Amino acid sequence: MSEFDPKIIAFCCNWCSYAGADGAGVARLQMPTNFRIIRTMCSARVDPEHILRSLAKGADGVIVLGCHPADCHYIGGNYRARRRMALLRFVLEEYGFDPKRLKLEWVSASEGEKFQKTMTEFIDDIKGLGPNPIKEGA
Amino acid sequence: MSFIAKIKDKLFKKVGDKMEEAAIMADKPVEAAPAEAAPAGAPVIVDSPPPQLVSTSAVFPIELKAILPGAPPGGKIKFAHYWGAGCGGCDVSMLDIHEKILTVNDMADVVFWPIAVDGKVKDLEALDDGEITVTLFNGAVRNSENEHMLKLLRQKSTILVAYGACAMWGGMPGLANLHNTEEIKKYVYTQTPTMKAFQDTQDSPVIPQEVYQAPEGELHIPTLYDTVLAADDVVDIDYYVPGCPPQQTSINVLLGALVGHVYHGAALPPKGTIIGAAEKSLCEECPRKKESRRITKVVEPYEIDVDPDQCLMDQGIICMGPATRAGCGSPCTQAGQPCRGCYGPTGAVSEQGASMLTAVASLFPVLDNDALIDEDEIIDIMSQVKDPLGYFYQFTLAKSLIKRAVKEKGGK
Repeated sequence: MSEFDPKIIAFCCNWCSYAGADGAGVARLQMPTNFRIIRTMCSARVDPEHILRSLAKGADGVIVLGCHPADCHYIGGNYRARRRMALLRFVLEEYGFDPKRLKLEWVSASEGEKFQKTMTEFIDDIKGLGPNPIKEGA
Repeated sequence: MSFIAKIKDKLFKKVGDKMEEAAIMADKPVEAAPAEAAPAGAPVIVDSPPPQLVSTSAVFPIELKAILPGAPPGGKIKFAHYWGAGCGGCDVSMLDIHEKILTVNDMADVVFWPIAVDGKVKDLEALDDGEITVTLFNGAVRNSENEHMLKLLRQKSTILVAYGACAMWGGMPGLANLHNTEEIKKYVYTQTPTMKAFQDTQDSPVIPQEVYQAPEGELHIPTLYDTVLAADDVVDIDYYVPGCPPQQTSINVLLGALVGHVYHGAALPPKGTIIGAAEKSLCEECPRKKESRRITKVVEPYEIDVDPDQCLMDQGIICMGPATRAGCGSPCTQAGQPCRGCYGPTGAVSEQGASMLTAVASLFPVLDNDALIDEDEIIDIMSQVKDPLGYFYQFTLAKSLIKRAVKEKGGK
């Protein structure tokens, strides 16, 4: 069997981390290509249903990237997202998932390097966890 | 004079002249179908419904008001009611409609409803395919008997209704999807100290076997499945009636639609309609006042003096109302108890638990020092919500996106 090649869904806030990801690309920072970015207007736009659907469809990990605390374009969206993700992690744990499959991190528009570092680390973590257990024969 | 005839006699006398002109009445008169299309025996589902029946956003306009004059023009229809993995509440909920139960008797021959009339499976098997006009199936599909009976009833019925939360989404039995059959059997028969079987046979536990060789011959019990399924995971379902059990208003709407069809030839609602429920959330019909307060502590109703007029969420009680379909008339919240979510997700979402999770997370205020507090503190705040999966997915786990528990196998 070939080496496990995880699929990651990354939800990026339009105002910070999406621009951060762009910055990482412009700066030609090297990182694994296992993730697909979905741009949202705010990290609080990410409904738990989006994350559950990603996992149900076989994503091995989901990462939500938002603005740093006190930096949200909509003033308090990231605080809401933070509470929601904490609660969702309990739900995932009850389902039997390793809660580390869901990560929330703050990346600003100027932090291309942090984006690279965060994604590389997250992909390594997921490689350590193995494939999403919901997949047949995984 | 039979018992039913006596009751009817009494009812007619009480209502007096009002009963003369007509027997069943709907809120709006139902347009009669042409004479040649009058129902004979088993009516069929009509493809193009009249506009007044299409909307699922409001309660159907036809609602049963009084008892019927007698058998329908084309003769009595056949009716069946059966249960899968359920508690029996749905099976008897039909009686919540009080004297209107006589309507059912006037309109239909009950061919199979084990809790109310004597009927055997072999009688059911002897019927022609599609001979039963309408069958209400309640309960989830959890073992081989449930599956066999559901498939048999589908074959024999023209209209099959998934009746109640268990048939629609697996309901509470669906929570068994968080474990597997072996774990459940082991816990129930060998680890539950309050069980008599456990006390009697602690040293040599007795676990039921599917096949047992008795002196009189081989005995079988149904196979318990690992995964609890909803009715529409197994067969094609025509209509849905939510609830645990469905409330009187929803049952009346269902019967009203049937009566309109059987007596007046009115078209049935489009296939797949959720009957007797609204699109919006329970908060729309709950009379409590909502101020969208933020809470810092989650409480149970017995821990506080519940304000009779205030929103329960504002008082710190987790109520499933914001994530639950309206249509029940909010009896629980009016009685001071939080909504449990038995009418399922609203029209706009598929995951009831996920939308409830969002609502609950937003209940907690953003603190003045929110920018500075660390993740552990957030976890402390949110861990006040005990068993979020069991609470938010109380009725819909078996139909949720993830459906059942998974097991991490670890990386290589």
